[in-house]
Amino acid sequence: MLPALLAIVLVMAFPLLYLLFMSVHKWSMVGYEPPSFVGSSNFVALINDRRFIESLARTLYFTALGLLSNIPLGFAIALLLAENFPTRNVLRALLILPMVATPVAMGLVWVVMLDPSLGVVRYLLGLVGLDSPPLWLSDTAWVVPTLVAVDAWMWTPMVALICMAGLAALPAEPFEAAMVDGASVWQRFWYITLPLMMPTLVVAAMLRLMDLLKVIDIVYVMTGGGPGHASETINLYNYLVALAYDKVGYGASVALVLFALVLASTIILARLRGGQS
Amino acid sequence: MKASLNRKVAYIGLGWLVVGAFMLPFLWMVLGSFKTTVDFLSYPPVWLFQPTLENYRQVFADNAFARYVLNSLLVAAGATFFGLLLGIPAAYALARWRRRAMGIVLLAARMAPGIAFLIPLFVLFLQLHLVGSYVSLIASHLIFTLPLTVWLMVGFIEALPVEIEQSALIDGCSVPGALLRVVVPLTAQGIAATSILSFIASWNNFLFALVLANENTKTLPVAVLGYIGYTSIQWGTLMAASCLITTPVLVLALCVQKYIVRGLVTGAVTG
Repeated sequence: MLPALLAIVLVMAFPLLYLLFMSVHKWSMVGYEPPSFVGSSNFVALINDRRFIESLARTLYFTALGLLSNIPLGFAIALLLAENFPTRNVLRALLILPMVATPVAMGLVWVVMLDPSLGVVRYLLGLVGLDSPPLWLSDTAWVVPTLVAVDAWMWTPMVALICMAGLAALPAEPFEAAMVDGASVWQRFWYITLPLMMPTLVVAAMLRLMDLLKVIDIVYVMTGGGPGHASETINLYNYLVALAYDKVGYGASVALVLFALVLASTIILARLRGGQS
Repeated sequence: MKASLNRKVAYIGLGWLVVGAFMLPFLWMVLGSFKTTVDFLSYPPVWLFQPTLENYRQVFADNAFARYVLNSLLVAAGATFFGLLLGIPAAYALARWRRRAMGIVLLAARMAPGIAFLIPLFVLFLQLHLVGSYVSLIASHLIFTLPLTVWLMVGFIEALPVEIEQSALIDGCSVPGALLRVVVPLTAQGIAATSILSFIASWNNFLFALVLANENTKTLPVAVLGYIGYTSIQWGTLMAASCLITTPVLVLALCVQKYIVRGLVTGAVTG
């Protein structure tokens, strides 16, 4: 038993400790210069790195849009599929598909669908009267919301499934009592379902938060961070700076900041839940 | 009665409309994979057309595709196998003796961005001359298959009654013996589900293979990007390849429906 535990700690902890070590060095892989200790200067340099600050702000924007869309939409889908009607289980099974399908492949399918001149999205919007949609991925203002929508397509179903599990576990008594007292559907939702579901919603939000802050795959595949840097998230910038531009030590400090960001925001959200109940 | 029937019909209609919208990309991918270039590039988009198998023929005509499939299978199978080998004993220890520190390490792994592991691993593998090798790919995928396996297996093992193992231990069975002869057989179903989730996570992973694989060892998600050439994009072939890549995971996922959310919650995803 113990060797296995030890092996896991090594596999997981060693890279992170090594990362910490790298972050205080000037470190490059090509060239013959050995790594040199630079103290905290990598972190200090981050403050003046405009591209870093912008990617950080963009990631927060991405995350906020993601949470604001995923959680209400997922909850709404869960409420719908919590009702008992024929074929409901088929729909629940189908909902699993977007989140397990290979993200790279689906990102490319979305690129095809979002094509500004030939895409099916343009066509479908035209059917409902929206004749001049934006250029989606080629428009600097629209690229982030568009990527958020693709991310939402993948992950809103997960929120829905988590909420369905939460709804199924709710106690029946409060609802029965409310029915007896003649509460309306809306009142039952607002005063019973929503407060009882709060812990579930916070858990779903925490999971989405962790992954939204780290979003990279679909961005890399669909826009590569462009147009310009208009969709460059912090994780993508991190990848580029460390592994494409060969500033390994500097990249390590970006990775630590991203890790700290995920850690801190998750803890804050967990605290919020503590305060609520 | 009539009112409740109307309600049911409304729910069915609304439910299929919403979930159907989520299925559109799959439909579009499958349709696109059977379209000729002319059909692919026509606007308004065509929904009914003379299907062609040419795109699939193109994918298989490229000998490298079979190689990428093998690479993906090998890496996913390896990462799953070693994940189980280390993860099951660890999960057993956690479930029975509760090591709090381990839980924290695993939670940190869930939150840490993939890149935080990837940078040090890349440098390490570079120094060991292992970049581009299957070893580096499998070892790096353990970063997420291992926590996934441990978290899921802790749940399955905790659900077992302790008495069975205890009687095995009293009868003179060693702890590893009890694990192998009692716990593993009794959690076989859980192990199967865990293997599938772990396999899917590895199969879908992009970033690690992007950095660590070379031309010969690259896995499908990296290889599929190759269809976007510098001069022309073979859209139909790209859709056919996408279908071929995603179908196995979709089928596997439907087999373990019950466990999918648990798997995702515990960390099938790394960014």
